Amino acid sequence: MKKYITVCAVALAAIAGALVSGCGPAKPTLNVYMWSDYIDLDLVREFEKQNNCKVVIDIFDSNEFMYSKLKAGGTGYDVILPTSYMARVMFEQNMLEKLDHSKLPNIRFVNQKVLADLAIDKKMEYSVPYMLGYTCVAYNKDKVGKLPESWDVFSNAKYAGKMTMLNDHRETIGAALFFLGKSMNDTNDADLAKAKEILLKWKKNLAKFDNELYKVGIQSGEFLIVQGYSGDLFQVLAESPNLAYMCPKEGISMSCDDWVIPASAKNKELAYKFIDFLCEPKNAAKNMEFTCYSAPIPEARKYVSEENKNHPGMFIPDDLYKRGELIRDLGADNAKFNELWDVVKGN
Amino acid sequence: MKTRYTSLLATLFVMAFMYLPIVMLVSQSFNASRYGGRWMGFSLKWYEALFRDSAVINATLNTLIIACVSTLFSTAIGTCAAWVLNRYKQSKLQTVHYGIVYAPLIVPDVLMGISLLLMFVSLKVQLGMFTVILAHITFSVSFVTFTVLARLQDFDFNIIQAAQDLGAGNLRIFVKILLPLLGPGIASGAMMAFTLSMDDFVVTFFVGGPGSTTLPVKVYSMMKHGAPAIINALSVVFMALTFTVAILGQCLTKKKYEQP
Repeated sequence: MKKYITVCAVALAAIAGALVSGCGPAKPTLNVYMWSDYIDLDLVREFEKQNNCKVVIDIFDSNEFMYSKLKAGGTGYDVILPTSYMARVMFEQNMLEKLDHSKLPNIRFVNQKVLADLAIDKKMEYSVPYMLGYTCVAYNKDKVGKLPESWDVFSNAKYAGKMTMLNDHRETIGAALFFLGKSMNDTNDADLAKAKEILLKWKKNLAKFDNELYKVGIQSGEFLIVQGYSGDLFQVLAESPNLAYMCPKEGISMSCDDWVIPASAKNKELAYKFIDFLCEPKNAAKNMEFTCYSAPIPEARKYVSEENKNHPGMFIPDDLYKRGELIRDLGADNAKFNELWDVVKGN
Repeated sequence: MKTRYTSLLATLFVMAFMYLPIVMLVSQSFNASRYGGRWMGFSLKWYEALFRDSAVINATLNTLIIACVSTLFSTAIGTCAAWVLNRYKQSKLQTVHYGIVYAPLIVPDVLMGISLLLMFVSLKVQLGMFTVILAHITFSVSFVTFTVLARLQDFDFNIIQAAQDLGAGNLRIFVKILLPLLGPGIASGAMMAFTLSMDDFVVTFFVGGPGSTTLPVKVYSMMKHGAPAIINALSVVFMALTFTVAILGQCLTKKKYEQP
């Protein structure tokens, strides 16, 4: 029995040793924390070669999960990619490094219009925008014809049971607020009460609130009109010529993911280099063609292939920026949205 | 005759219920369409994409390393715990021990994950593969212990006394009697630990650090932001491996029993 225990102890020590030495290679390591399938891995390899370093990418699937982990003390990441509203929250909690612009020469390529019209961090004080996407409506044009550009489509009882909206309270309540001519971040009680009435009316016509299967449903013909994310919808549209999309005139929700450097980062120099590398127009172009989302770097248009030069997902038309709005963190008023959503879902 | 038809029908229904999703998954993995809403022709492109995707391959390797190491240790620790729990059943101390080992079975994953994370952070342990392995050992031990304990409960201790009477030493008893008789229990405990470790998402997410992304974490994120078709291909590859192992295992045990 003793022998057995000794063998175990030796094995444990050996494995622990291997792990510790495995974690400290001679090359400097950059630890990236981001969403899945959101960067062209060829670019990462190029960056590794240029800087003689190793890039380790880890992934999260929700801002809130990532935040709670960092807040609890999870460290080791050098550069993180949260959505704008979460970057703001992290900045306010002193979790982020203030960016030194002298180390980021390529941020001069970032679209000033995007920063002015849309961004939360307008001076890139703590974050650099990476990719933009928006929420729009895709529909089956063979079956419903050409749709007017309005959120009002969901009130059309003719397609009852054949439409879906996103299962996300900020997106759906936001759409109703847009329809009322308000901001999607509006917290006025009277406006929210009206938005609730509209949502309840729309809900009668919806098959369900859904975030994932609508892509399959719109393609197979199960659904005729769906609210969805641009990056996903454009990939479905590329496969199915019978589908079309529209962006309601009243307003659309946009989302932007931003690179930030956590205050606890160990390899800040490399983190700066990485962010700067991705802002280089020819690299931004490669990333756009990989993700179908839009990097706010107008110069990148020169480097994308001919067929993508006017891709509505990669190069968001100027008038969409004017209609677009980012989801903001509402602080204590978040509760109002949650309550309203509970009523709508439970009704 | 009539009952035979109803039972046949029931069997078919259950089979369809269990295997139809798998059949769908396999067929979709060969569908050229990214989202699989329409059949766009037979294609192997998702398999090709899978084998080129270094992120998925890395995550798979991480998962296998974590599962193997945590299984090894949790099996050893769990078996020892079961032995002690059974041997000193009457002692008060073991009642406490029983409670401690039992707790992880009923503690929600989220609680386990966050408490382990807080512990690692307060001890200033760098999060990563090492902490994930420790966490997996922690929750697997209980499962191994209770599987082995069940086996020990119908164990005839007279055999050991007989062996001692005949002059066998402790080591010999362990190797020649305990291990072969408890073997199936230990093996099923180990398999349980392996499966749990392969599957775990919540605890891994919390205690993971740079370089420890596992397959469940990757797949979960890919569902939302990646190509679901690659996940289909990956599932088919894994299923093929599992079936092969299961069939091989059956063939091997059959041969063993056939020998006189």
